[in-house]
Amino acid sequence: MNRETGSRSFLDAMALSRLAAVPLVSRRPMLGAVSGRHPSPHRGSSVEFAEYRKYVPGDDPRRVDWRAFGRTERYYVKEFEADTNLRCCLVIDTSGSMGFGSAGATKYACARQIAGSLAYLAVQQGDAVGLACVADGVVTNIPPRRNPAHLTSLFNALENTKPAGPTQLIPVLHELAESLRQRAMIVVLSDFFVEADELRSCFEHLRFRKHDISVFQLLDPQELDFRFQRPTRFVDMEGGPYVFADPQEIADRYHRALRDHLAAVQLIMRETAVDYHRVRTDESYERVLMQFLIGRHHGRGQR
Amino acid sequence: MSFLQPYILAALPLIGLPILIHLINQWRYQTVEWGAMMYLLAAHRMSRGFARIRQWLILAARVLAVAGLVFAFSRPLSSGWLGLVAGSRSDTTIILLDRSPSMAQQDASQGASKLQRGRQQLEQALGLLRSSKWVLIDSTERRPLESETLGNLLALPQAEASSASAHLPTMLQAAYDYIKTNQTGRTDIWICSDLRQSDWDADHGNWAAMRDAFRDLPQQVRFHLLAYDETPTANVAVRVTQAIVHETGKGRELHLSAVLTRDGAADSTLSVPLELEIDGARSVHTVEIAGSRLELKDHRFPLDRKETRGWGRVAIPADSNLADNQFYFVYDLPPPRRAILVTEVPDAVRPLELAASISSDPEIKCQIEVLSVEQAVSIVWEDVALLMWHAALPEGEVRQSIEDFVKRDGHVMFFPPRQPTDSEAMGLRWTAWESLETPVSIERWQFDADLLARTQSGAALPLGDLQIRRYCGFIGDTTSLATLRNGKTLFARVPTDRGAVYVCATGTSEDDSNMATNAVVLYVAVQRALAAGAGRLGATRQLDAGASSVAGPAWQRLSQEGEGLSTQYHSHAGVYQADERLLAVNRPDQEDQAKILADTQVDNLFQGLDMVRIRDRLTGGSNLVQEIWRMFLMAMLVLLLVEAALCLPRWRQATGGAP
Repeated sequence: MNRETGSRSFLDAMALSRLAAVPLVSRRPMLGAVSGRHPSPHRGSSVEFAEYRKYVPGDDPRRVDWRAFGRTERYYVKEFEADTNLRCCLVIDTSGSMGFGSAGATKYACARQIAGSLAYLAVQQGDAVGLACVADGVVTNIPPRRNPAHLTSLFNALENTKPAGPTQLIPVLHELAESLRQRAMIVVLSDFFVEADELRSCFEHLRFRKHDISVFQLLDPQELDFRFQRPTRFVDMEGGPYVFADPQEIADRYHRALRDHLAAVQLIMRETAVDYHRVRTDESYERVLMQFLIGRHHGRGQR
Repeated sequence: MSFLQPYILAALPLIGLPILIHLINQWRYQTVEWGAMMYLLAAHRMSRGFARIRQWLILAARVLAVAGLVFAFSRPLSSGWLGLVAGSRSDTTIILLDRSPSMAQQDASQGASKLQRGRQQLEQALGLLRSSKWVLIDSTERRPLESETLGNLLALPQAEASSASAHLPTMLQAAYDYIKTNQTGRTDIWICSDLRQSDWDADHGNWAAMRDAFRDLPQQVRFHLLAYDETPTANVAVRVTQAIVHETGKGRELHLSAVLTRDGAADSTLSVPLELEIDGARSVHTVEIAGSRLELKDHRFPLDRKETRGWGRVAIPADSNLADNQFYFVYDLPPPRRAILVTEVPDAVRPLELAASISSDPEIKCQIEVLSVEQAVSIVWEDVALLMWHAALPEGEVRQSIEDFVKRDGHVMFFPPRQPTDSEAMGLRWTAWESLETPVSIERWQFDADLLARTQSGAALPLGDLQIRRYCGFIGDTTSLATLRNGKTLFARVPTDRGAVYVCATGTSEDDSNMATNAVVLYVAVQRALAAGAGRLGATRQLDAGASSVAGPAWQRLSQEGEGLSTQYHSHAGVYQADERLLAVNRPDQEDQAKILADTQVDNLFQGLDMVRIRDRLTGGSNLVQEIWRMFLMAMLVLLLVEAALCLPRWRQATGGAP
């Protein structure tokens, strides 16, 4: 761990050690290649009893439950749950708007901390982790791997990527839904400055593909509060036209637009069963992640 | 709106300061790289609604707050009426004060009369407006009184109530003369009056000339009419019309006639206790007024046999006007009425001789003496009541004697001579006789006053029956009393300071007119002139307040009530003794007429002049003018509070706005 995190500014070893106390679990059964901590849709050899099934020719006679035969004089086979690993895909919005930060750190920096920590925790428990950086398309795409050495390239990608350009998050999420062949845990980190209606279709698409989706919507305090005093020329960080406005005069309507959009996003997330977390960039990422992990731990067990 | 410090209004452009600051603030914008552009664009697309109005309201509140501050420092005056004197101080302020008895009308709840309230309002208002010089022209003396301070001026006895009528044309003439003589600078003329028609005399010939004169003045003259035109709601006025002593078999009796007039609601019966005082003896008689007027005719009161003359008083209880609640009278045995008829044709003046010699009252003796022109020099004027001159106008010593006679309140009637000459007397000159093909009757005459007035019963004299066949023209400044259908003046009065001079433009012969056969008009006119002329001869006289000359030191007040300086006794109601004569001074007859000048009439009188009308009421509690800078200061504070409230961020903003 030290070798991987020592030189990364966005990782805190102490925070990671505290977060490691709570395992990262999936809310939905995963189809992993090896044994792991996550529920699988198949029967396996874990210690957790699943069900009795009638013996059929071809079954291994060693799995016949003779105690049940003694009671019922019928042949039953005892089945157990299977545990497997998962494929975690981290999708980070690296458009220009993620470069905004009024409280010292940008939204991208915050996203990098969350993504890096999740990647470390997943690999540590044997899960495969991949990364997709999205701006005006997929900027960086690292397929999921579960070996610890894979973290180095993932962290390098996080460190080297700079937020710039417009966002094409919606098409990329659709593309991701099609390209991931197996069930996966998809974690999206973005400010979601896109139309809410378009978000619905892409999350429904991902859900249809049986992916476990988690979303971190990152917002800067200044974006939420809009505390400006003087007339301001707002230059679009994604290359759009600038807007000249008197904040005193427009603040009311800005807040109304912000409120409407956030409410719409929240509704979509709830209706599409997305594990949604809104994050202020001045919050502690450790606390956000701890809430995320604990929330998932309570929700595990479905197969 | 007017201001005491108008020069501070020059700072009014400062109201643009908030706008300037707003523009500078707009210009000093900052540039920010912004991620959440979608919210900004959405906000721009939204209807601005109240947000834009709020911005305008904030700016308006700031502008108005600055304006309020500037106005407060300018010390604005509130008056309930606009167009008061602008803040600059006038050079001279002339106050024309109507002191007539009608100005004594008061409101029961306030207890102050119109005159008192007017004085109080003027003192308060003009004290704020200020002036270099103050001049008072009161309605009685009509002479300018100057003072450096307004308070002193309005505290003079000349500003107190009097019993004399006002005459606004004369007062304005006095104001004009003062302005012209003293070459004043910018002048404000304040007129405090109750707009009585009788006081304003809107038909007076001087009005038009005065308007032109004021317009032509080089300096700016502004008029301010402080009007108290409320008519009394319940007022009764009492007036003695006649007090004559008659000899009877039992002794002497006083025959007293009086009139009670009632203003306001006249549809109900009103019971009035009439207090009568004769030489200190008082009695009360209750009378009932059913309509607007009650006439008491020849009420008899026995007198002490030894007494031939005396005085008395009639009074009624207090009502809305205290000045018309009592009336003084004096009585005496009527003096003989002696008339002189000077004629060049004694045979042709028989009708005049008869008209002057037959008394209308058997108690009164009438005498007439017919003289030739040459005998006129020897007339003894002391006991002459009326001179009738039916010859060429007098010249030399005779003319001078006649002029002196008129100055001693004598009455003269001129009739045309057979042959008009170039001689001139009393401003009159006969021109030539004019024979009319068909007799001409009288078209209009003055029926409300003077010789041709209606009778006491209200009936008009039969002037329409007169037929004029010959007419003698005359030149002179006269006031027409009767006019023929062809526009010529038949009867006229020559304006004089004292006495009376009448002109009749036709003779009494059959060739001239039918005045001899229809002799009612001639008889009434001659008898009225004779009675008026004889009035000055008796030991008692009824005088209209203000009509007599200035009272001399010989006047002594006999009545208990009364006020004013001894030099002003002639304008204050009361009974006075001058030498051996008793004088009863009362308000003039027209003071009992409550007719008010209409607004349009007032506007016409001041047409073309800078006039502001201020209608004040007795019941009103507010002052004419008061400083209202506090109001502006309060308005400014309120505006600043409104501005602060509008600038406050809304609570949603404070909490971030996120759901």
